[in-house]
Amino acid sequence: MQYRAGEEEQQAQSKKALKKQQKEAEKAAKKAEKQAKLAAEQQEADEDDFAKDRYGICPMVQSQQKLDRALVRVQDLTPEKAEQQIWVRARIHTSRAKGKQCFLVLRHQQFTVQALLAVGDRASKQMVKFAANLTKESIIDVEAVVKKVEQKIESCSQQDVELHVERIFVISQSEARLPLQLEDAVRPEGEGDEEGRATVNQDTRLDNRVIDLRTTTSQAIFRLQSGVCQLFRDTLINKGFVEIQTPKIISAASEGGANVFTVSYFKTSAYLAQSPQLYKQMCICADFDKVFCVGPVFRAEDSNTHRHLTEFVGLDIEMAFNYHYHEVIDSITDTMVQIFKGLRDRFQTEIQMVNKQYPSEPFKFLEPTLRLEYKEAVAMLKAAGVEMGDEEDLSTPNEKLLGRLVKDKYDTDFYVLDKYPLAVRPFYTMPDPNNPKYSNSYDMFMRGEEILSGAQRVHDAQLLTERAMHHGIDLEKIKAYIDSFRYGAPPHAGGGIGLERVTMLYLGLHNVRQTSMFPRDPKRLTP
Amino acid sequence: MPMYKVKPVSPADIKIDVPSCMYKSPNVHGHGMNCGEHALQNGEVDPSLKALEERQDEVLRRLYELKATVDGFAKTVTTPDADLDASTPSPGPAESVFKGTADLDSLLGKDLGALRDIVINANPARPPLSLLVLHALLCQRYQVLSSVHVHSSVSAVPPPLLSCLGPRHIDSYARQRFQLGFTLIWKDVSELQMKFSTQSMCPIEGEANVARFLFRLLGAEPQDPAAATQMDCWIDKAVFQLSEGGSKDRAAVLRSLNAALGRSPWLLGQEFSLADIVCACFVLRAGQTTSAPVNVQRWLKSCQNLGHFDCVYPFLQ
Repeated sequence: MQYRAGEEEQQAQSKKALKKQQKEAEKAAKKAEKQAKLAAEQQEADEDDFAKDRYGICPMVQSQQKLDRALVRVQDLTPEKAEQQIWVRARIHTSRAKGKQCFLVLRHQQFTVQALLAVGDRASKQMVKFAANLTKESIIDVEAVVKKVEQKIESCSQQDVELHVERIFVISQSEARLPLQLEDAVRPEGEGDEEGRATVNQDTRLDNRVIDLRTTTSQAIFRLQSGVCQLFRDTLINKGFVEIQTPKIISAASEGGANVFTVSYFKTSAYLAQSPQLYKQMCICADFDKVFCVGPVFRAEDSNTHRHLTEFVGLDIEMAFNYHYHEVIDSITDTMVQIFKGLRDRFQTEIQMVNKQYPSEPFKFLEPTLRLEYKEAVAMLKAAGVEMGDEEDLSTPNEKLLGRLVKDKYDTDFYVLDKYPLAVRPFYTMPDPNNPKYSNSYDMFMRGEEILSGAQRVHDAQLLTERAMHHGIDLEKIKAYIDSFRYGAPPHAGGGIGLERVTMLYLGLHNVRQTSMFPRDPKRLTP
Repeated sequence: MPMYKVKPVSPADIKIDVPSCMYKSPNVHGHGMNCGEHALQNGEVDPSLKALEERQDEVLRRLYELKATVDGFAKTVTTPDADLDASTPSPGPAESVFKGTADLDSLLGKDLGALRDIVINANPARPPLSLLVLHALLCQRYQVLSSVHVHSSVSAVPPPLLSCLGPRHIDSYARQRFQLGFTLIWKDVSELQMKFSTQSMCPIEGEANVARFLFRLLGAEPQDPAAATQMDCWIDKAVFQLSEGGSKDRAAVLRSLNAALGRSPWLLGQEFSLADIVCACFVLRAGQTTSAPVNVQRWLKSCQNLGHFDCVYPFLQ
């Protein structure tokens, strides 16, 4: 009995063992197969890679040698270069392998071109595989023949040509996992929601600003912003203005004590300038007549809105006038109109590119600029149903409504509002000579949002002292400022704009962080 | 003893016959001049000379006045219904032809302390001539703040279009002092457009319609409905046939104008009206006024004599 049971057990065991053996045998067979396959492939690879020296990863460019090689820019790849063999350095925007072919889209700044790598007598399978596996955003050098295409390549900026790649080398490889995808970053918001595709939210963009700035939209925005700054300078220099640089570390808060950053200054503390106001005026008293300055402005305002930054670039103007401060308003509005004209005439490509992702109405303006008086604005608002006092300041929603009413009637996105009530302006604003309740001050608006606040300044030390006392300001703190008017000061007026805000409003964007390269706000200090 | 003796060429004592129509002036070089008369050299005038000059000035002035009066009468005779002040010597713009009154508050809405600004968007390729004439008439009646702007949709505009509303008013910095604003914007629009109160009024399109609106502000609309209809009829003829029609239509309108003007000095009879303004502007713009029928030419000359059309001539080729 025992033996039979044992036999049965043995039989069972042996069955199990058999099964086990079978399995192992299968495994071994599979492994052997795989190895054989690999070996075969390796052999194949070693055997057939005739294109081994036409691709690869270059050693890091440490200026080892001076290559006499001209690199053609992607934007210059046009049908005129057809059949030419050229070298291009660009980033890999996308790569897509399809059997024996690999399609690459190469990008340099705003320009993209399609490149094709196909297995043939110039490229081997391994080469195509190598190209297909390159990570996006890697910088590569490509030698290729430019070929004309019959059907336009709609998805690229260079629509009439494509590159047939002969050699491909990696100059700088990118990590495989990108924190954000550029295609997502350029996708318009609506499209993203509709098709269920991703768009990138603002915080992610700002955290990875280096990659976000590579998008065509960002490139266009900041090139346009550079144009704004340049047009500002050129127009004013042509009008006889002098550019000045004012100090940013100052001893006393200029606009008011509340919104100022303090820095430690050796044994005491100092402040970061809220505006170049004081120094602009001092330059006028020093006989420079017409000055402007471009520089950072620091406002410690704890406002988390779409249009406030703690640090921004201020473009400020100050000008002495002969008899009426309207001479200055005319000068400032003419400068703004020249900037708008310059952008309209020379930066259409950039404007269109931004509009692809952020569609908006083109910016409209009148020449000469429309100037309305505060009383007119109040009447217009009252006619539209708003309840407000005659001397009340305009709230932001009222400003926006007024912008729409002006747009309706005059079809302009830019206008000046003159003669604000005295009570809502700073202490150095000159009161209106005919009506003490009003002042010689003005605001300028773009698309219904304020971009410039300016006024005729009080240039008489005594009146200035009175006004300061009326506003309850400590005279000791502004003694140096008042002193500058005691030795003959010409009548003058001026104003300042924020570069980022003007760019944002010109393009019809909705957040000033889109037009500030590395924005600063109460919650963001890096990058 | 003299060496040579020359026979005298002329006898020393020739009697010269002085003509009696010339007047004698005192001999400046003769003796008998005392120091008192030397003082005259310093620019002081001899009183008798002064009196003479004054009489001459008086005569000349009366001559000019007479000439102006005759000119004025000549114009009056050829131009019916012209209210020319015949004694003004300079041919400036005529006084207001229209004597009616208009209540701006009822027409334009209550004055809320803001400038009542009429905004007109016009295409610089087709300047609205009749509106320029109406602007001149409005300026005579009210204090109008006129301004011209160029919209960003247009890249450049010829200088005459920028100054078509006349020189900028001295007080233009104080918008509140004006009763009415007239803002002309040169813009890339297909149809002329007027906006006033965007909250309560829709925009008015078409030069003729805007002209009707502005004419109402002058308070000179014909009260008689028949006359008003006739006026509208003439304006429509000008717009649809003169301006938009072919050459046959134009010829037909000129013929009917000629016929009407044969019967009366102005299109509506004895009174100058909007029909005359609009039709004249459209005829002038169509050109070829020298080949127009006789009555039409006479009528155009009358319009010109009124002085309101002076602003239009710079825009006719």
